[in-house]
Amino acid sequence: MNNVIKALPFSFRFKKFRINYLSAALGIIYLFFCYLMLKITLQYIPYDTDAAFLKIKQEVINVPFYKIAFFTHVYTAMLVLPAGFTQFSKYFLKNFPLVHKTTGYIYAIAVTFLTGPSGFFMGIYANGGLISQTAFCTLAVLWIYFTVMAVIKAKQKNFKGHRNYLVRSFALALSAITLRAWKYILVLMFEPRPMDVYQLVSWLGWIPNIIIAEIIIHKLYKK
Amino acid sequence: MKIILLLCITVILNSCNSEKKIVPGEAKNEASESPRPTSTNNIGTKSEVSDTNKNLYGYYTGEFLAVEYDDSKEYTYSNVITVSIDSIVGSMLYGHSIVAGNDRPFKGMYENKNGVYSAEVSEPGDDKYDGVFYFSIDPASQKISGTWKSNSKDVYVTKRQYDLNKKLFVYDKNNSIPQEKNWNALYDRDPKFPDKIETLTEDVSKINASNTLLKKENVENMFKGDLEVIRNSIYARHGYSFKNRKIRYFFDNAVDWYMPVSTDVRNELTELELKNIDMLKRYEDHAGKYYDDYGR
Repeated sequence: MNNVIKALPFSFRFKKFRINYLSAALGIIYLFFCYLMLKITLQYIPYDTDAAFLKIKQEVINVPFYKIAFFTHVYTAMLVLPAGFTQFSKYFLKNFPLVHKTTGYIYAIAVTFLTGPSGFFMGIYANGGLISQTAFCTLAVLWIYFTVMAVIKAKQKNFKGHRNYLVRSFALALSAITLRAWKYILVLMFEPRPMDVYQLVSWLGWIPNIIIAEIIIHKLYKK
Repeated sequence: MKIILLLCITVILNSCNSEKKIVPGEAKNEASESPRPTSTNNIGTKSEVSDTNKNLYGYYTGEFLAVEYDDSKEYTYSNVITVSIDSIVGSMLYGHSIVAGNDRPFKGMYENKNGVYSAEVSEPGDDKYDGVFYFSIDPASQKISGTWKSNSKDVYVTKRQYDLNKKLFVYDKNNSIPQEKNWNALYDRDPKFPDKIETLTEDVSKINASNTLLKKENVENMFKGDLEVIRNSIYARHGYSFKNRKIRYFFDNAVDWYMPVSTDVRNELTELELKNIDMLKRYEDHAGKYYDDYGR
């Protein structure tokens, strides 16, 4: 995260001061959203197949593996979030390389084997028909792909490639947060119909993220 | 695909059959012709009942309007009431009234003056909202008109008046919500409306949850308010008298076939209706909790 901030153009002015202030602000915002995500997860504890989102998924709840996929997705999603605090910090990388490595492996394993595939499987049965099903499945495939590529690049000691792929991967991980934020804003402003807004955010939740990721990689990291 | 279609048809046919068994309308029709035995007093004296008296039996429905009320409180100016004349034995008249989710028996003396019956009948008096009805029944025009006074002075409305028309209750699964209503205007009309303003769309008239098995595609894109009205219209068709003020206001004012005749219709719902209620309730709950919330 520090890397990103250092690269921001306006951070040149009050160099040291502004940098710390901004990362702290971003960190606090991120922490707040992590807290919201935790609250969403807690709706499903204890295990209940008729809670919250599942209330309107009763017709697919008995599809083989759907329940497994759903609860895998919900319970392992939290493993992905700590990466946001540690992995983009040069400070952590330099002073606590073991933390970087451990958190990184937890992230990669969770995405590749648990949260990603379960997301893909749920995407097949997503509400809102083909529009949102395509969105969620594409999202899952790209997310797994970027994450696997990042691990491969690290093994090849290509750390620039490693970093770039993880910027992309994490941008998609953040779709869990941005999708819900878009929904919240759109409902507040336009009061759209529930399934219209769902189809819209299924794309809006991650396309801008990936665009911003590419901007960070190509514009900011180049400097 | 064919198998699915066949299954659907069988399900629908079955639900039609079961409907016939439990259709409350038929039972209610009888009820409106011949009285329901609310009181034990009339056992053994049935044969005394004259034909003219029998003609009075049945449901009378119309607006129950506040005349004397506490203006500072959120009273309800108008509710639709059904007065049922159940039996006449000697000089006693027995019946019950259904209004605002309240089903109360009454009994009292009546007089027949030149073919017009005037009666003073009391509710049991063990409910806060009990009172006394003073009305006249005109068999020629099949109307009941009169007043009602509460026993207690502590209620928001202490006197109401009414002009009711005799009406047969018939359960018709094809009864639909009228289309041409301006829903926003309807909800805005009552300034003392307790809940926040909610808007309805034309969706409420598009779906009949009593004669069509709903699929998730039918309901998933609907607003919570519409779903609520669609679900409650199932109960309304069975003559359910709503305690919920918002829903009552809607059916009392916007739906001409609606008449309250019962405060418990659970045993009268068809299989198809029960299925639809479950589905609608799920989407209502979901929309209520998560539509404008962060999360899902």
